[in-house]
Amino acid sequence: MTSETDLQAALLKLPDDAPEAVVSETFFASYVLDALGFSKSNGEVIPQFDSGRGAADYAVRRNIGEDIFLHTRNNPYMICELKGRDINLEEGSAQYKRAVQQLHKKYLLAPKCKSAQWGLLTNSCHIQLFRKHNKVIHPATPCLKISPETIDRAIKSIRQKIENPVKALTIAVYNNKGGVGKTTTTVNLASILALAKKKVLVVDFDPNQQDLTSALGIPLSDGQVYAALNERNTNIKDAIQRYVPPLKKTAEYDLGFDVLPADKVMVHDIDEAELLKEWKNHTLHEKLAELKDTYDYILIDSPPNWRVFSQQALYAADVVLIPTKHNNIFSLENAVTVIRDFVPQVQSIKGDASPIALPIFFNAGRVTPYQLQEAQKALIEMIKQAKRAQEGKPKFDLQPYFFPRYTNSRKDLHIFQLPSYANIANAAFARIPAVYRDKSAREYYISLAKEYFLHG
Amino acid sequence: MASLSDIGNLKHLYLDEIEPGEATTAPAFLIQASAQVLNERCDRNWVPVIVKETGKDQYQVIGNSFVYAVAEEAGLERVWCVVADDSKEAAEVARVLSGEEIPRINLSKASRDEITAALRYLIELPDSALKRVKLPTATNRIDEAPRQYWNTLDPIANLKCGITRGKKLKALQSVFYLTPQPMPDVITDPAILKSLTATELKKMAKKRGITGYSKMKKADLVNTLSE
Repeated sequence: MTSETDLQAALLKLPDDAPEAVVSETFFASYVLDALGFSKSNGEVIPQFDSGRGAADYAVRRNIGEDIFLHTRNNPYMICELKGRDINLEEGSAQYKRAVQQLHKKYLLAPKCKSAQWGLLTNSCHIQLFRKHNKVIHPATPCLKISPETIDRAIKSIRQKIENPVKALTIAVYNNKGGVGKTTTTVNLASILALAKKKVLVVDFDPNQQDLTSALGIPLSDGQVYAALNERNTNIKDAIQRYVPPLKKTAEYDLGFDVLPADKVMVHDIDEAELLKEWKNHTLHEKLAELKDTYDYILIDSPPNWRVFSQQALYAADVVLIPTKHNNIFSLENAVTVIRDFVPQVQSIKGDASPIALPIFFNAGRVTPYQLQEAQKALIEMIKQAKRAQEGKPKFDLQPYFFPRYTNSRKDLHIFQLPSYANIANAAFARIPAVYRDKSAREYYISLAKEYFLHG
Repeated sequence: MASLSDIGNLKHLYLDEIEPGEATTAPAFLIQASAQVLNERCDRNWVPVIVKETGKDQYQVIGNSFVYAVAEEAGLERVWCVVADDSKEAAEVARVLSGEEIPRINLSKASRDEITAALRYLIELPDSALKRVKLPTATNRIDEAPRQYWNTLDPIANLKCGITRGKKLKALQSVFYLTPQPMPDVITDPAILKSLTATELKKMAKKRGITGYSKMKKADLVNTLSE
C-alpha cells in the first residue's frame, strides 16, 4: 500500500459527524488551503473575513511583494464557505442551494469582496469551486464528492484552475425562438461593454442569417472562419475583424470591438451534416480558448434552433443570456426548454458544470401593467409545472431563472425589462448599434450590463 | 434579580392610560372591519401596540397605531402592548417596522441597487408623480452624478432624467436623505465640475489663484479647473 498523503490522512481522521468548527479547524485551514497554495503562516489566510455583509469563513490571497494580505486585508482572491458534515451539500439538495445562495449573494457580491475571483464551498464530503467574473458567478467545477481516493485529484484540479485564471467571460446569447432580439442584444451589449473600456469579441455564429455581420456592415468571411474551425494548425486570429463605429468623435478614445464574422462557406458550400462529421462538440470552445486571455468578454450570437451552431455556441459558453418577449408565450416556453433541457445536456457532456443560464429578461417595447401581470401568471404556472416531475423529465426549479429576487419571505416578481423601441430597431439601418446613436438606448443597455455583468 | 424596568415587556394596559401619539391614517373601513374581526374571533390583539412610558401609568403609542385605533373601535378595555424605551431611535424603528413610516436611505452613499429599488418603489406607487420616469435612465444619471457632495436633492432636476422640480422631486424626498461630504478644494474631474454652477466654479477658481476667471464662460471654467 502506498503511503497516504497529508490530505488523505486529514480526511480519514475526521469523524463522520464532524461539525463545521472541526471541519474548518482540523481539515480545511490546516491542509486544504495549504494544498491550494495559500500559506497561513505567511499571512495569506484571513478567518472570519469582514465582507461588508457579515463575516465570511475564510478569505485568501497570495501576498504581492510587501503587501501581506493579513495586514492590508484588501482585495481577497478567493472566499471560502465551510459547512459541517451535518449539512448535505449534494448538488440539488435544499441545504446545498441555501449554502450556494449564501456564498454568492452574501459574500461574493459583498462590497469588500469585489476583487474576489473565486468562491469555494465545502463540508469535507463535497467541494465545489465557483468562478466570479465581475458580477457574474458560475460554477467552475461540478460539486465534487470527496473521498480519500479522490481528494488529491480534486484539490489538484481546483488549484490548477485558480492558478490559471481566464480573463474572458464567454456569453452565448440564445433562445430557440426567433425574433426575440438576440442579435440586437448582442451588438448593443458588446458596444456598451466596449464603452466601459472592456475588450470585447463578438462571434456571429448564425451563418444562415448573418444578421450581426451585416448589421455592422462588415464583409462576410470567405472561408477563413471555416478553415480556422476545421483545421488544427490555422490561427483563428486571422479571421477577426475590427468594428469601429463610423462616428465623428471616435478619435477621442478607442471605441469599437472585434468581430468574428459569419462565414459564407458555411452556408452555401457545406451543409450541416458535413459539419457534423468534421466538428466535435468542443470545436468552437477550443478555438476560442486561444483568445480568452485577449478579451474581457466574448459574446456569441447563435441561431434560433437547436442544431450544430447553437450547440457549439452553448458548449463554448460560460453563461447563457436568454432574451424573451413578454407578449410571446412561445419565447417563454422556449426559454424553459433552453434552461431545463439544452443547458443541462451541454453541462453533462462538458463536465465542468458550465454553462449556466442567466435569469431571463424581457426584450420588448412598452409593457403595460396588464401584460406584465399575464406574463407573470404564465411564468408562475410554468414554475409550478416544472416542480412536478413529468414523464421522462425530473423535477426542476425554474424560479431563480424567472424571478431571481424571489425568496421564501419576499414575493418579488420583478423581471428585468429592456424597452425596445423604434430607435433601437432603426439603428440597424444605419449599420451602427443603437447605443452609439441614441442616449436612451445607451441608458437601457447600461442597465442591462449592470444588472447582469458589471458592478454598479 | 429581575430588572425593574418594563422595557421590552409585553403588558396588558388600560386603553385610557395610553395616549394615541401620532394617529393612524388608515381608512375607516379597515379600522371598523378589523375591529369586527377582533370582536368576533378572540378579543385579544395578537399584534401588540408599541408604546413608551411617559409617566406613572401613562403611556404613548409610538408604533402600530393602527392596532390602537382598532382596539379603541372594538371597545377593548385593555390592550396588549410592548414597552419600548423613550428614545428618538426607538420611535423611528417602531414606526418604520410597523410600516407607518417610509424608511429613507442615504443618497450620499447608496449603492446603485439601492437607488434602483428606491426609484422603482416610487414609480410603482399608485398614482405616482413619477409614473412616466424611465427607471434605467433615472438610475444611471443619479448613480453617476457626484451625489456625495450634494446638500439638497435639487441637482437631480438638472440631470434631465425626467424628474423635474416640484411634485416629482418632492416625491424623492420621501425616500432619500443626504449626509454630504464637504467639497474638496481641488476637484479636477470634469464630470463633477460640470454639475456645479458657474458661480461655484468661479469661487473655486479664485481659491486656486487662477487669473482671469471672472470673464470665463462655464465651459472654459471647467476646462481650466480640470487641468
